[in-house]
Amino acid sequence: MLPELIIYPGVIFIVFLGLLYSGIFRKICARMQNRVGPPILQAFYDAIKLFGKENLSHEGAGHGFFIWPIVAFASALVAALLIPVAGTVALNAGDLLIIIYFLILSSAALYMAGFSSENPYAIIGASRGFMQMIAYEAPFILAILFPVFFYQNMSLSYFNQLQLSNGLLALQFPIAAFAFLVAVLGKVELAPFHIPAAHQELVGGYYIEFSGFRLAMVELTHAVKTIALLAIGVALFFGGSASILGFIAKTLALLFLLAVFRATLARFRIEQAIWFYWTLAGVLIINLTLQHGGFL
Amino acid sequence: MSTRIPVGPQHPALIEPEHLDVKVDGETITDVDVHLGYIHRGIEGLMQKKNYQQNVYIAERICGICSGVHTSTYSEGVESLLGLEVPKRAKYIRTIILELERLHSHYLWLGLVAYEIGLDTAFQISWRDREIVLDLLEKITGNRINYAMNTIGGVRRGITKEMQKETLQGIDALWEKTKYYKEVFLKDSIVRARTKNVGVLKKRDAERYSVAGPIVRASSVDFDVRTTNYAAYADVKWKPIVRHGCDINSRLDVRIEEVFEALNIIRQCIENMPEGPLKTIVPPVVPKGETIMRTEAPRGELFYYIRSNGTAMPERVKIRPPTYANLLALKPMLIGSELADLPVIVASIDPCFSCAERVGVIKEGTNKKEIFDGRRLRMMKDAP
Repeated sequence: MLPELIIYPGVIFIVFLGLLYSGIFRKICARMQNRVGPPILQAFYDAIKLFGKENLSHEGAGHGFFIWPIVAFASALVAALLIPVAGTVALNAGDLLIIIYFLILSSAALYMAGFSSENPYAIIGASRGFMQMIAYEAPFILAILFPVFFYQNMSLSYFNQLQLSNGLLALQFPIAAFAFLVAVLGKVELAPFHIPAAHQELVGGYYIEFSGFRLAMVELTHAVKTIALLAIGVALFFGGSASILGFIAKTLALLFLLAVFRATLARFRIEQAIWFYWTLAGVLIINLTLQHGGFL
Repeated sequence: MSTRIPVGPQHPALIEPEHLDVKVDGETITDVDVHLGYIHRGIEGLMQKKNYQQNVYIAERICGICSGVHTSTYSEGVESLLGLEVPKRAKYIRTIILELERLHSHYLWLGLVAYEIGLDTAFQISWRDREIVLDLLEKITGNRINYAMNTIGGVRRGITKEMQKETLQGIDALWEKTKYYKEVFLKDSIVRARTKNVGVLKKRDAERYSVAGPIVRASSVDFDVRTTNYAAYADVKWKPIVRHGCDINSRLDVRIEEVFEALNIIRQCIENMPEGPLKTIVPPVVPKGETIMRTEAPRGELFYYIRSNGTAMPERVKIRPPTYANLLALKPMLIGSELADLPVIVASIDPCFSCAERVGVIKEGTNKKEIFDGRRLRMMKDAP
């Protein structure tokens, strides 16, 4: 049990894969933008460097400033540990519920850390983050409800096995699969939804005051959350995975798709993003009703 | 409840140091105050201490982007003081340099707007294509930025047949690329959502604030200084681009169309380039008098006032760059809009703060800016 928790498919594997994917993601974006881009291992260098830095905090920083980044990373890690990597099973029933909960906690903790840092930019960024959360959680959960309603099951590993034998669920629920990807863009703050940390508007957004260890926590949270979301996507909609190679190939394909979005879209304003997500949620509700009622 | 948000002097949305004191209610901007004075270089004072020829070099270094238009305006001003007629070939070459400069300034601006709305790819690609223009400028003048092409009485280098051929090739390539930018910036739905009805400057406001350049032309005012026919603009066919949307989308439209217009002008200048000398003989002494010279810089109207007292050095040189005219218009554009639109609105006037810089006086110990009214300025002038 212990080596599975710590090494594979546990903490070390997840963090390693997260940082590697973040490097690959940056490289793909850079090539799309006609740049050379950083080395693929850049995320590792950054993380190691940040952990070696001095523990700085500013005057007026609350306790939350120290605690929330750790909570964010820990909850993202818990969510990531429950995902079925290559058919491994962590929990047998109801793991989807726990994953959704911990992913929400992870985002909320980051924004709470922003609020605690008492910087006007951070506060605006954090409030934008919460606003955006209200928007993207609706289509995210609705999209997950599609397979859950149809197969009356709340276990990710069940859907993983189901897809391995029955084929892609994305073909059965195309709108839900698309909505899931769009919600993932919001959850990991990629274009067009990189609103809470908008560099040009809010300098760094909610993590402007973070440095050293705390900034590393933010980066790791993003990396781990990305892995968790990609893995949920693969297990729920995009074919499932039987082996580690299949898992990596499928998650990389999804990552490439996210990179295409990142490179080709401009940033929404916050109210445009909310409008977009809620329209999507409306479409999903109608689609779910029709499909579940047997009209489609 | 209103919060004060300091934007600048160091802020990723602003390339140069200036301070926007923004008051927001939630995310809506309720008030904004522009503070300058971080990079004042005393150019006008310096110009009074150098002779006319040396001042060409100073004018070149006022702006990094529009260095060519500063020297042409200054040179044409001094030429009108001297009553010189510049050779036609020199006028054509000046026009080519001015329009190439407009091209690279507009490409730079397109990239900046894309960057401010989070469209990084368009930013990277438009700056890549800007390199074509910079390479052409380097081929023609030997320099990428400070061309050192203009001098009083003409230009310093000619354009050979080979350079002309390469320039025409470059123009053809840019024509195709600009069509693509038109598609991206005017048709893409998210770009439209971020620029349509954003940073609105109504026609009445644009006239009241004396706004210049592409901004005023996007607010349906037909005002282009190139119609005063300096350089060779009388000899080529072109028309000012005017749009009626009054928002950032119209400013994008105006600038993209101006890129096409500039490409046309360069092609005509190269095809009809007359033979002849590059420079006339310049008399050593500038007679007593004063002159005003206006040109259309990429960002708007550039204004030079030169007064000569008959010595080797000008008595007064007054420069009003386009950003100085456009800066005040930020206030009606920003108030009432969202904080998320602030970077793109500020970028939409294509600000060049080091050109527009004015001195700011801060009283020691109080940290407050002093305001000088007309009476106090007159008193300072009379004091020794």
